[in-house]
Amino acid sequence: MTAPAPEVLALLEAAFDAAVIIDERGRIEAFNASAEAMFGYRAADAIGRNVSMLMTAADRGTHDDHLRRHLADGESRVLGRGRDVRAQHRDGSEFSIFLSVGRIANTSPPRFVGFLHDTSLRRKALATLEKERQVNRLYLDLAQVMLVATDRSGVVQLANQRAIRVLKRGHSAIVDSNWLESCVAPDDRATARTAFRALLMSGHDEPQVCEYHVRSSDGEDRFITWRGVALRDINNLVTGVMLSGEDITDQRRAENEAHRALERMNSVARLATMGEMAAGISHELNQPLAAIANYAQACVRFLRMPAPDLPEISGALEQIAGQALRAGEIIRRIRSLVRNEDVRRETQDINELIREVHGLLASDARVHDGKLALDLASPLPNVTVDGVQIQQVLMNLVHNAFEAQAPEHDGAPFEVRIATRATAAGDVEVSVSDLGPGLAGEAEQKIFEPFFTTKASGTGLGLAISRSIIKAHDARLGYRANLPRGACFYFVLPAHQEAPP
Amino acid sequence: MKDLPQTVFVVDDDDAVRDSLRMLLKSAGVHAETCASAQDFFSIYDASQPGCLVLDVRMPGMSGLEMQHELNLRGLTMPVIFITGHGDIPMAVEAMQHGAFDFLQKPFRDQELLDRVQRALVRDTENRARLRHTDRIRERLASLSPREREVLDLVTQGKANKMVAGDLGVSQRTVEIHRAHVMQKMEAGSLAELVRMMMAVAPSP
Repeated sequence: MTAPAPEVLALLEAAFDAAVIIDERGRIEAFNASAEAMFGYRAADAIGRNVSMLMTAADRGTHDDHLRRHLADGESRVLGRGRDVRAQHRDGSEFSIFLSVGRIANTSPPRFVGFLHDTSLRRKALATLEKERQVNRLYLDLAQVMLVATDRSGVVQLANQRAIRVLKRGHSAIVDSNWLESCVAPDDRATARTAFRALLMSGHDEPQVCEYHVRSSDGEDRFITWRGVALRDINNLVTGVMLSGEDITDQRRAENEAHRALERMNSVARLATMGEMAAGISHELNQPLAAIANYAQACVRFLRMPAPDLPEISGALEQIAGQALRAGEIIRRIRSLVRNEDVRRETQDINELIREVHGLLASDARVHDGKLALDLASPLPNVTVDGVQIQQVLMNLVHNAFEAQAPEHDGAPFEVRIATRATAAGDVEVSVSDLGPGLAGEAEQKIFEPFFTTKASGTGLGLAISRSIIKAHDARLGYRANLPRGACFYFVLPAHQEAPP
Repeated sequence: MKDLPQTVFVVDDDDAVRDSLRMLLKSAGVHAETCASAQDFFSIYDASQPGCLVLDVRMPGMSGLEMQHELNLRGLTMPVIFITGHGDIPMAVEAMQHGAFDFLQKPFRDQELLDRVQRALVRDTENRARLRHTDRIRERLASLSPREREVLDLVTQGKANKMVAGDLGVSQRTVEIHRAHVMQKMEAGSLAELVRMMMAVAPSP
């Protein structure tokens, strides 16, 4: 029997994997350094012994038979393909290896070389990696927000449980699909695309916030606030985006509901106050009217008597005159109450007054599914006004504008704009314009008349009261058509004049 | 006994309305007294004075409804006509439920008021006559002995003398004597009349 050639042995020594050469009876002929490290035997101790000593008890008994059968009919379960097997260290501990065996050609008797790759470490690493993945997955799935990652082209790479629940689609139906096309509600795709592009281009790591609807598999739209960041590779190149989304559909619905309830309450309160006022006024006026009717009817009866009691009649007529004057006085009092002559004028910045009510008006806008835009010129001269009254006028005009557009909301931009500007004379013009149908013919003539209304449930008093408030400020509430479409109500407030020292 | 003349009491806090009502009633030959408040009325009113009341529903101090309640408490049965303003219909309904005679919305036609006042005065006369009648029946009932009252209660329940005798444990002859006394003291000509008298004084259900 000849030993393997020295070149072969040198080659084996250099191999990273453990390598063992055996003869046709299974005896070890070569045992390289890696094998020494793997099994704990020195080459001198291993050479000459049967290779089965490296195997676990389960395999040890059958190895010689396999070898003999192969030599007899060439059949092999090992040759030419590798397989995972268990191995046994000198100290008895078992571990996993990947074994590939080859028959060394043209040797007699035949020799075999086995390469043994320790897979325990790899398996351990894989297991650790898998565990980490699971933990990460768990973190993702525990998150109360939707988490979605896409690549640069918008193909979804990852979606957590929350996203799966909101979208009502399986993980596999989301991942690898195009986010914008398969999950974003059709009406919001343009918005979502713009936000997506902005994210890819963003040079900073600040999350960008946007809001759009996603559509679930059963066609339900949910309104989501998204915070997005760009994902970068180690070269700082953007590879995709990560989105975290909070489903605010219910919250927004509750907000709108609360706002609507408040609005209903306000209009009920207004009606109640007006009802009470009307009842009070009618009672006040009824008293002198009833007295006048009684006196007059008494006079008629007295006059029909054969001998009329003239002093009694004369007294009654005087009373009638007095009661008529009393009724007139009551009406005068009501008028001055409505005119509200006791106003508080202060020098103020009109833009500031507008910003103060912006929040209230914006929620009005949201209820009407529209936008409120501010277009405020700055700087502007101050104006001397009753701020609360001017704000009431603005709220009335903005509310009217949204109501005017509501019925024919046909996808056209749904916007009310409050603008301020300095006029050529140096005064301050405030305008409220909309993109609704505007005013036509008769409406334009009558719009400021009390009790004229184009709204089904309007009282027709809003504009009339607004106009009297503006009039009390030495200004005029006017109307002009907004170009290219819509209505524009405006008033010009005199600029505040500094009193001479 | 001659009845006192009937008077319409007008209670209204509004001077002009009150005075104009007085004059209107006077022009129709009806005597009226005016009071500016419920308190004023109760301080001058004597229960033997026949007539009716014309009340404003809304009054400061004691309202018309409260005044009606007070009248009921005091057992005063004068009919009350309420005058209400435009929006006071619910109050008027409540007043009617508590026994008001009628109500009028102001301003009103003189004839509407005068007709109601006339009917109220007729009602007051009837009330007073009925009260005098029941007062007399109560006086007669008070003159019965305890045994006579027992006999009266049983015979007006429709029991024959024999049964009454059985119930009271006395002879039929004794019952006959008591019964004759009852008919005499109650000034009743027949059993039917006696039953009508008892119904007139029975507490209303």
